[in-house]
Amino acid sequence: MNFTTGANSVPDTNKVPASLEPQPMIVAKNLTVGYKLHRERKLLTALRDITLTVNRGEFVCLLGPSGCGKTTFINAISGIVLPWEGTIEVDGKPVAGPGPDRAMVFQDYALMPWRTVESNVRMPFEFQNLGLSKQQIDERVEWYLDLVDLKGFEKSYPYELSGGMRQRVGIARALVTEPKILLADEPFAAIDAMTREAMQSELERFVAKTAQTVVFITHSIDEAITLGDRIVVISRRPGRIKDILDVKLPRPRFDKDVKSLPEYAELRERIWNLVKDEALSGAHGEE
Amino acid sequence: MADFETTTPNSPKSFEDADRIRKAGFSVNGVWEQYGSHAVTVLNLVCFFILWELFARSGYINKVFFPTASGMFTTLWEGLTRSAPPDAIISGQIIDHLLYTLRTLSVGVTLAIVIGVPAGLLMGGNRYVEKILSPYVWGMASLPRIALVPLFILFMGFTVKMQITIVTLSALFPIIINAWAGVKTTEKSLIAAARVFGASRINIYAYVVLPYTLPFIIAGIQQGIGRGMVAVIIAEIFGGSNGLGFLITRSADTFNSELMYAVLLLLVIISLSFIKITKLIEVYVAPWRQQAVM
Repeated sequence: MNFTTGANSVPDTNKVPASLEPQPMIVAKNLTVGYKLHRERKLLTALRDITLTVNRGEFVCLLGPSGCGKTTFINAISGIVLPWEGTIEVDGKPVAGPGPDRAMVFQDYALMPWRTVESNVRMPFEFQNLGLSKQQIDERVEWYLDLVDLKGFEKSYPYELSGGMRQRVGIARALVTEPKILLADEPFAAIDAMTREAMQSELERFVAKTAQTVVFITHSIDEAITLGDRIVVISRRPGRIKDILDVKLPRPRFDKDVKSLPEYAELRERIWNLVKDEALSGAHGEE
Repeated sequence: MADFETTTPNSPKSFEDADRIRKAGFSVNGVWEQYGSHAVTVLNLVCFFILWELFARSGYINKVFFPTASGMFTTLWEGLTRSAPPDAIISGQIIDHLLYTLRTLSVGVTLAIVIGVPAGLLMGGNRYVEKILSPYVWGMASLPRIALVPLFILFMGFTVKMQITIVTLSALFPIIINAWAGVKTTEKSLIAAARVFGASRINIYAYVVLPYTLPFIIAGIQQGIGRGMVAVIIAEIFGGSNGLGFLITRSADTFNSELMYAVLLLLVIISLSFIKITKLIEVYVAPWRQQAVM
């Protein structure tokens, strides 16, 4: 069905009209994943029996309490964690490890502190050969630094930047290889509330520009509604899918005041009812 | 100092402005900001030595134990410039003993770095190496190395080899432990990021673990030099006929308090310079780890 590989496939995704049949990009079937606790010598199931399809160009938000296995799910998509049971496929191929078709934005930015902004964004090209010439790489790095408004900060070090700027470096680093899938692990959780709103609107703009498929983890209901095309609500560990909701709010959502729309409030209440029990038990410290 | 409330033509209007004025260095405020703390330190030390001089001259304490500051500085200067009158009992000048000590120290510490850094990195990187070596490392690190001096004298006599061995053993373990800890504490999210962006195992070591560990290694070397310094002086006090440690015992034996205090002052100066130099290296290689400057 799809014979394009590597970096050249992105322009194709750009051309896919929204009216076409949705093409599955990420397919998880009965996925069960977990990790080893070395100290206690036991296995911990993080996610149980997840079946989910994410379509090309779709923005999916995973919403759930902390420690529900959301991170494990995107780690499984990225390939740094392999499934225990079930399968996970990206673009028709089972995930066997990390690849340049997937990139991630991290909650704590995970920028190399000894590298400049530019060098951090260039890093993915040093680890994987995407068949680009040095000049092409230079152009890419420049273009994406420009996209995230970091022109003039190329030679700065991460410790010299604010949290919001650091995460923009993280986003540029993720987008620079033009992956098919952008994974985001609570990327704005550590950023102050005011900057967070601005970052959300910027992310919407980047994604619209690059037509990415996005899997975005959050524990904020508002963030999920303002960003996602679909919201997957996950229960407490071991995480299972509780419900999947479509968000039919107009885009770009930050230009229009979507938060004042009645659909917004309605959706918010539905989600709140879904997560209420878990949020409350979390607040009382129960497992 | 100037009143902060008043606005003079030179007073800064922004941070950039303040920076510019400071760099241009034409305002009293700017000069004070740049050199003020140094001036205070110099003044402080001058007062200290003047008080010392007055106290020593008062004859309150016997000169055999407590020389005048001027006497100490004269001895130090003459000893370093080889202009001291030849001594019948203590042969050689301070400078010769200083160079001897520094040579022993640098050979010993270099050996410790050459052995310790790879050993620490291996221990951090490989679980089996760690399991095998860690009891010995902790055992040797907790044993006071001075206790080994008689043993090495037995093995090697009062030789440079003995002194170098003790210095190496003293400096080795802080270096190993710091490099090891650096590898072990490398932030997991940085490794995850490298993996997501396609780094191989070797890439992760070369591009994440090593740069992350570098400041730890430098901290280890810093501690290693400190321990090595202690070791070299002790080894020289125990035996031998060269070095600053030997000079201290011999000056005590001959009631030459000026020489002894001069050597002690020299040791302080050497140690402080080592700390200062390694701090500068630390800031240079790992500016992101800058902590409060002492």
